[in-house]
Amino acid sequence: MPRLTVESDGVTIDILEGETILEGLYRNGFAYRIGCRRGGCAICKVDLVDGEVTYNRTVADTVLSDEERAAGTCLSCRAVPVTDVKIALREENLRRVSSLMAFAMKAAPRATSAQSQ
Amino acid sequence: MAVMRMGYMHVRVTDLAEAKEHYANTVGLYQTLEQDGRVYYKGWDEWDHHSVVIEEGGVGYVKCGFKCDKPEDIAEIEAKTIAFGYPVERMVAGENPEVGDGIRVTLPSGHQIEFYSHMTAWGLEVGTHNPDAFPRHMVGIGAPRLDHALLWVNDPGEIERFFVDVIGMWATERVRTSLDDDAHTIATWLTIGESNHDIALLEAPENKIHHFAFEMRGWSDILHAADIFAMDDVPIDIGPTRHGITRGTTIYFFDPAGNRNETFSGGYRCFRDRPTVTWTPDQLGKAIFYHQRELNERFLTVAT
Ligand code: FES
Ligand SMILES: [Fe+2]
Repeated sequence: MPRLTVESDGVTIDILEGETILEGLYRNGFAYRIGCRRGGCAICKVDLVDGEVTYNRTVADTVLSDEERAAGTCLSCRAVPVTDVKIALREENLRRVSSLMAFAMKAAPRATSAQSQ
Repeated sequence: MAVMRMGYMHVRVTDLAEAKEHYANTVGLYQTLEQDGRVYYKGWDEWDHHSVVIEEGGVGYVKCGFKCDKPEDIAEIEAKTIAFGYPVERMVAGENPEVGDGIRVTLPSGHQIEFYSHMTAWGLEVGTHNPDAFPRHMVGIGAPRLDHALLWVNDPGEIERFFVDVIGMWATERVRTSLDDDAHTIATWLTIGESNHDIALLEAPENKIHHFAFEMRGWSDILHAADIFAMDDVPIDIGPTRHGITRGTTIYFFDPAGNRNETFSGGYRCFRDRPTVTWTPDQLGKAIFYHQRELNERFLTVAT
């Protein structure tokens, strides 16, 4: 199971089989700036600092160009980690929207969060 | 009035199979043609061959079409557009399947808009002889018809002049920087008939499509649509709620390529002598989402 670390926030979660970065973070009770959740609006871009992702759908090159991909831009609503990955959010922080998930993550040792706010 | 309504909206989708599933089984449109990587749909309460076209490859706006009453209307719009100074070209019957001769105008925003007066008749799903109130086996949310679109443009005030001076529309509502006469127009809602708007324009850094909308039969159908979206895992942007602007009830949601769709219902009847409503930016939250009274972060940032 690949692990996802959000470098800018010191959060690490497990990513389920086939899950996108967005889905993994929201399942764990986090939120950040997203839009269509369907790869069309480009608002969910993050920096891929480390690791490898694959795309579970065709992504329009008007949304994510080859140059951007090469430079480490990642469309988080369509990107599925294939290795452990490290990402950084752009000009924002991860928000914890479900404090219940913070308890759940403490209880489950594999899904750890280095910080909660 | 020469132009009658927005007749079709044509958008790109990244995955045709997924988009077909959405527009046919969730939105409940009827497929009338599939050809050259494009799929054509109509709503059950529409009689022309199509009102929505999806095309595989990319995402976002391709073009939309406005239907005119008579062929002569097109010549008149063409002459007026040339005098107004926007580029216009002729299109011939068959360029769009089942659509007659027309013209294609390119707005300064780059958006192409077609005007035509003939489309092959398909017929209402309920027929015209002693019809029932709705089709007995509606699919998904059963959207009856295409209603309007909101485009992102660099200069809504300037493009509004085209729709008013050339097409004969008028603004039912506007967002302006202030109530002063020389205020800057940030957004405008334009109608040709008695509905609140056939097209709306919002000032934005890029020229894109914000959403296109289907008219529903009322608030209860909007709530029902929200339930269907939950079942079909359709991402909801906001709603069910009401717009302050137009008073219409709404859900914004996304198709599988990320194009924003809307279910819209209500609003008030508009006559040409009705005074235009003005909203100021400090009330923009209430203007857009009347119940929440604040914009979500996506309204001004997410478009295709
Ligand atoms: S949320 Fe729209 S592209 Fe990811
Ligand atoms: Fe709308």
